[in-house]
Amino acid sequence: MIDCIEFRDVSKKYKDTQALDNISFKIQKGEVFGYIGPNGAGKTTTIKILVSLIKDFTGDVFIYGKNIATNRKDLYNLIGYHPQEAHFQGWRTVDHAFKTFGRLSGLSSDFLETQTQEILELLDLSDVRYKKIVHLSGGMFQKLRLGQALLHEPEILILDEPLSGLDPTMRFQFKKIIKKLAKQGKTILFSSHILNDVQDIAGKIGIVDKGHILNIGTPEELQSAFHVGNLIEIVVARNTPLCHDLKELSSVDYIEEVKSVKQIVHLKHDVDIDEAIQQILGQISNQKCQIRKFNLLEPSLEEVYLKYVRGEVE
Amino acid sequence: MSLRLLFLDELMGYAKSKVMIVLWFGLPLLSFIIHFIQPDTEGLPISFLVGLVVSSIGGTLSSVMLSTSIVSEKNQHVYELFLIRPVKRSSLLLAKFFSVFLCLIVAIIISLIVGMIIDIFTVGLTEYFLNETFESLIVSISAMAITCSIGIFIGVLVSSIPVAAILSVYLGGQLSSIILLPTIFIESLNPVILALTLGVSLTTIIMGLNIFLFGRQQF
Repeated sequence: MIDCIEFRDVSKKYKDTQALDNISFKIQKGEVFGYIGPNGAGKTTTIKILVSLIKDFTGDVFIYGKNIATNRKDLYNLIGYHPQEAHFQGWRTVDHAFKTFGRLSGLSSDFLETQTQEILELLDLSDVRYKKIVHLSGGMFQKLRLGQALLHEPEILILDEPLSGLDPTMRFQFKKIIKKLAKQGKTILFSSHILNDVQDIAGKIGIVDKGHILNIGTPEELQSAFHVGNLIEIVVARNTPLCHDLKELSSVDYIEEVKSVKQIVHLKHDVDIDEAIQQILGQISNQKCQIRKFNLLEPSLEEVYLKYVRGEVE
Repeated sequence: MSLRLLFLDELMGYAKSKVMIVLWFGLPLLSFIIHFIQPDTEGLPISFLVGLVVSSIGGTLSSVMLSTSIVSEKNQHVYELFLIRPVKRSSLLLAKFFSVFLCLIVAIIISLIVGMIIDIFTVGLTEYFLNETFESLIVSISAMAITCSIGIFIGVLVSSIPVAAILSVYLGGQLSSIILLPTIFIESLNPVILALTLGVSLTTIIMGLNIFLFGRQQF
């Protein structure tokens, strides 16, 4: 795999606030990287450093091995950037915005026209091509931000909160478009403060908070690192006693009795899950407990994320 | 390359947002109004007076236009869309300066032509009148250059639109009169040469400062 983007020991301070504190991570070519964290975590700062809108930082950032600080001119056309907040001047039409930004990216008139048509079609904006941007809906406006990022056919897409402020239908459409772009082989970094936005698109997820990368991995890796897989839910039949003496088992840490028919078995962190399950099932069988439900609890990514940002996971 | 594109883009913006129409019809309209008011010009041609009034009003307008548009675009993160492309920050400011300056020069020339036409039909056109009008034109254009650069200076430094507008009204129009002050006290000074010298040098210095400050800002 080829390293496409690399952050190496990058820090950034705004007056008294440490926005980024020595962060390092890599994104490989063709990867979709979800960058999540609460508001103010350092996501936009990371992204603005990557697209060279912030230049005074410490550490190094590389794109295909080239340091962005010294090779900016070569990298402009590699990156397409969807900003979180940027507006277009009110007098522009969609067509005019594409023409201006396309020309500034150095595109020829013919290529720009072809690209404009293709992108407007992809984003379902063809009908508003000659409409003033100020008259577009929020969703269309967001699409336009994405459209300008695609004009010069960049290999790398940097999307800063692309789904923020969109209604559910538009979110679905946007995710579909991002998936389509990912299928074309583009390397995509996109940030969000909502985990659901990234978990069904991203192959890898980075969790950032207070300027630190808390963890990076595939969704499955993040779930397993969280250890909450070590919970077993046992529900017994109505009017039958709960299973007793489970806490005597060597793999069990403690038992939480939730209701008269339900108990949660907390396993010790270092146990083999399969062996522990066998032990518990054996005990249940010995006691002749009438089980209605036996379930190994899988944490949702949302839980993992919340635990991380609340500092409940080391 | 990007400066030319940005310059044309700004002109297009002023045309589409009707700024040009307001300037090119509004300022010459003053020529008519001044004629109908018939002020006591103490022998000066109407076109000379028009030049002075137009440069004062145009100067204030240009300063307000530039400062408020820059503040608004900064606050709305408009520049992010430009700076992620091979566009220099200095080009963004220079394009704004030259486009507004050009719009104003055209407005001044139209206004002076209107003033001269009125002069032709009222008092006749003499060489003295032509010289006075030419002098008025040069002083106006030099003053405009200074007010445009001051407008950009305010736009770069301030982050509130009302504050930018107020400062521009206070400073933009008034500071440009600095160009005329020395000729009042020292009669031997040639106002045309002085206006050109001060106009070019002050504008260059202020624009240099603007580019430096804009380059250090975080978007």
